Amino acid sequence: MTNINGKAYAMNAVTPMKTWKTPILLAVFFLIGVFKSAQKGLVDLSFIHFARWVVVQNNQFPRLAPEQPEEQLKYDYLLFFSNFNGTWNEYIDAFSAVLSSGLNLIWRWSEKFPGSVPVTAFKRYISLVQFDTDYYYTAYPYATTSDVKAAIRVDDALQEFANRAAGLTPEEFQQSYLQLLVKVQADIGALGPAPMGT
Amino acid sequence: MVKLNFHDIQGFVARGYNFPHASFLLAEILDRQAGREFVRHTAGRVTSAERWQQGKPPSTLNIGFTWHGLRKLGLPDATLLSFPDEFYQGMRARNRILGDIGRNDPANWEPVWKENVHVWLAVYAQTPDELATRCGETIGLMRETAGARLLYTQPAAAIKIGGQPTSKEHFGYTDGFGNPDYEGVERDTIPGQGKLTADGKWAPLATGEFILGYPDEARELPACPVPYLLGINGTYMAYRKLHQNVARFRVYLDEKGKQYAGGKEKLAAKFVGRWQDGTPLELSPDRADPALVRNQSRNTNFTYGQDQDGARCPLGSHIRRANPRDAFGFNGDLVNRRRIMRRGMPYGDYTPEDQLASDQDEHGIVFMALGASLFRQFEFVQQQWISYGNDARLGSDKDLLVGCHSGGGDKFVVQGAADAGNAPFICGGLPDFVEMRGGDYFFLPSLTALRLIADGAVDPR
Amino acid sequence: MANQNGNMYGLTILSPIIDDPKSKVSHDSALRLYLQNMPRHAYSPFTKVSGTHFCRLVVMDDVVFVGSPAAEEHLKSKYLVFNSNLYGGLDAYLAEMARKIPDVVDDIWSHCVGYPGVADPSAFAAYMKKCQIETTFFFADVNDKTVEQTLRALQMKVEFTAFIERNQGASPAGLLREFAAFWERVRELPLPPAGVKDLAKSHAAIA
Repeated sequence: MTNINGKAYAMNAVTPMKTWKTPILLAVFFLIGVFKSAQKGLVDLSFIHFARWVVVQNNQFPRLAPEQPEEQLKYDYLLFFSNFNGTWNEYIDAFSAVLSSGLNLIWRWSEKFPGSVPVTAFKRYISLVQFDTDYYYTAYPYATTSDVKAAIRVDDALQEFANRAAGLTPEEFQQSYLQLLVKVQADIGALGPAPMGT
Repeated sequence: MVKLNFHDIQGFVARGYNFPHASFLLAEILDRQAGREFVRHTAGRVTSAERWQQGKPPSTLNIGFTWHGLRKLGLPDATLLSFPDEFYQGMRARNRILGDIGRNDPANWEPVWKENVHVWLAVYAQTPDELATRCGETIGLMRETAGARLLYTQPAAAIKIGGQPTSKEHFGYTDGFGNPDYEGVERDTIPGQGKLTADGKWAPLATGEFILGYPDEARELPACPVPYLLGINGTYMAYRKLHQNVARFRVYLDEKGKQYAGGKEKLAAKFVGRWQDGTPLELSPDRADPALVRNQSRNTNFTYGQDQDGARCPLGSHIRRANPRDAFGFNGDLVNRRRIMRRGMPYGDYTPEDQLASDQDEHGIVFMALGASLFRQFEFVQQQWISYGNDARLGSDKDLLVGCHSGGGDKFVVQGAADAGNAPFICGGLPDFVEMRGGDYFFLPSLTALRLIADGAVDPR
Repeated sequence: MANQNGNMYGLTILSPIIDDPKSKVSHDSALRLYLQNMPRHAYSPFTKVSGTHFCRLVVMDDVVFVGSPAAEEHLKSKYLVFNSNLYGGLDAYLAEMARKIPDVVDDIWSHCVGYPGVADPSAFAAYMKKCQIETTFFFADVNDKTVEQTLRALQMKVEFTAFIERNQGASPAGLLREFAAFWERVRELPLPPAGVKDLAKSHAAIA
C-alpha cells in the first residue's frame, strides 16, 4: 500500500476553487502564518510530521515547452499533502472532532465541500478528492512525530545531564540522575511496530 | 431530552443488571423456518429495558446474533450487506487488528469458536436455581422448535468474598466504575461518566454512541443496517472470554512490589489507576479511601488535566488508557466517540489472597462491550489505546493488564517525582496476564426487530 | 517565505509528463511502473539525499470532478508531483540530487517535458525551479533538526530507555560506573541508517 510507510501515511488531495475565492484563502493562510496560536491545535494533536497546502492558480501549471498544450482551466486548485500518523479514519475523526473550524476555514472555498462536521459526509468528500501516492520515502518510518519529539527531549536532557555529571560524587550523581529520570519519564515509550491500518 | 423507548430496547443494552449469577449460551441456528420459530418464542420472553415496578425479576433473558446467524435466519442479502465490515468479518478474522496474536491467536481459542456460533443468549438470575430454571427453559425452547442447537454454556458469577457477592474481579480489583453516561438512560448521572463540557462540568454523551437510531456525538445518525426498523434501538457487542493468569499476576506484583519504593499495594494501584478497592489514584494518590469509593458523586469524578506527567496516575495505567478523559487535551473531545459500555462478569472460582493460585484453573472474565460502532469504539480502543500507546505519548508500549506481551520486551512505566519515595519505576519483562480464549461480534436487536426477524418480514427496500 | 519553516523547506514540484501518442507504453504508465519498483526503505535512493526527511512522488492524472453544480474540466497534461520536506536550502538539495542519485533522477524525469538531464547541475536546478510551485502554507511539527540529528535522537531514546531499565535499583557507585560506560559506548555507536523500516532489525544489523 504505497500511501503508507511504517507509521506514516501520505495523503494527497486536490479540490477546485472558484477563482474569486482564492484570494480569500490566501488571506486565511497568511493570517494563520502570522498568528502562531492558530497552529497550536495542530501541534497539540501531534498527528502530523509535515503538511502543506499549495494553491495552484489556473494559469500556474508549469509549461515547459510549446508542444505541451496550455492548460485551460476555469478553477484554481488547492493541493493538500500531509504526512501523518495513525490510520486514515483516526486522523479524520480527530480533525473533525477538535479542529473542525480550522478545517472549514481552509476548505469552505473548495467546491462542494460539505463541512467537516458531521464526519461521514466529510469522509466521503475526502475519499472523492484524495489521490494515491506512487512512491513514499521517510528517513524514519518507525517513528511517529510524538516519538521524534520525545527523542529530541530525551537526547537534549541526556546531553545536558552528561555535561553536568563530571565531578559529581556518587550520591550527587544519583540525585541528579533521579531528576533526569523525572524529566524523561513520559518520553521513554518503545519504538515498536504500529497497529495495522484499518 | 431524548426519550428512549424502553419497551423496545433490550434490558441488557440499557442496564447493567447487577445480578450475582449468569450464564451465556452460544447456539447454532439449525434451519431458517425453525430458527425463526425459536426467535419468535424467545422474543416473547426477552427482557426489555422497562423499569421493574415490582422489584428485580428472578431472572432475565437477552439475545444477540452474529452476522452468520442473521444470514441463517434468512435476512435478505441487501440487509446483510448493509451491516458494517467488522460485524460481517467477525472477531476471529480481525484478530490482527485486535492484537489477538501469539498465545491469543484464534488457533488457540476454545473449540466452540470454530463451530457455527449464531446466537448469544444471556441469562442473569438472583440464585443458582433460578438460573438453572431459566436456562433450562431456553434450551428446552431450542429443542421444541428444533430451531437451534446449544453449542456451549458459559457460567459466570459475581465473586463472593465472605459469602457476599462483590464487584471484584480475579486479580483483586473492584470493577464496574466509569461506564458511560448517556442521554435518555434512566439512571442517576454519576459525575465523571459522561463527557466534559467547556466549563469543566460533566454532561451525558449522545445516545447514538450506544444505541442505533439516535444522534451521536458527531451530530448525525450513526450508520444503521437497512431497513431502519431492523437497526433502531439495537446495538453491537464485542464478547470476549478472557482467562486471567492469577498466579502469574500475583507473583509479578509480589516481585516488583518489593522493588518499588511505594510498596505492593500502591504498585497494584499504579497498574490500573485505581487502588484495589476502587479509589481512583487521581483523587487519592497515596492511600485507598473507602469513603471516597462509596461516594457516587466522587468515585469517578476526576480528570487528568492536573496530572500531565502521570505522577499521580501513570500515563499507561489501565483506566487512563481505556478512557483518557481530558488527557489528550481539547477538553476530552477526542475521547467522546471512543467510549465503551461494559457488561463484564467474572467466571470461575475465586482464589483468596492468602491461598496459592493456579493459572491452570478456569477463571477469568467474560468481557462484553457495547456500542453503536464496533470499529470506532471497541476495536479502536483495543487497537490504538490498549495494544499501542502513541496517542498517550507512550510509543508502542501496551497496556500492562490486558495487552498481549508475548515477545518479552514490554514494559510499564510508573511516572514519579524527584524524591526517592516516589521515584519513576519501570516494570519490565511483562508476561501475559490475560489470555483471550475466544469471542465474536453480536448484534443485539430491539424487540421490534426480533419480531421482524421471526416473521421473516425484514424488507430492505 | 512560504516554502520555509524554520530550517525546513517545503519543495513542491509539478513536472508535466510527456504525452507521446506514438510511444508503445505511455510515459505516465512507464513512470508509475518505475515508481512501483523503485527500492524502498533503507535501499531507497533518497537515503543518499541527506536533507530528505519525507518525500513522495505522485503521478497526478487529472483534477477531480466533485459533482454538479461544479463544472467538469480536465488537465491537458498529467503531472509528476515531487514533494519533499527537506532540511536546509533548495540549491544545495537540488545539487545533491544531481550529484548523488543522477541515474534515478534521469530515470524518473526523462518522462517529463523539457527535462535537460542531470549532467549540468545548473540546468537541472533551473528546470526544477521552473516546475516549482510556491508552497502556500507549510506546517512542520519539528522544523530545526537534520535527518542525522533526528536519527541520532531516536537512537539515544532507545539506548537510554534500555539503560534506565537495566540499572533500576543500582547503587550510587554502580550507577555512576555504568553510566560512564554507557555514555562512552553510545557516542561511538554508528548512526542508524536512514529509511530503515524496523529499528529493531537495524539494531541487530549493527550489533
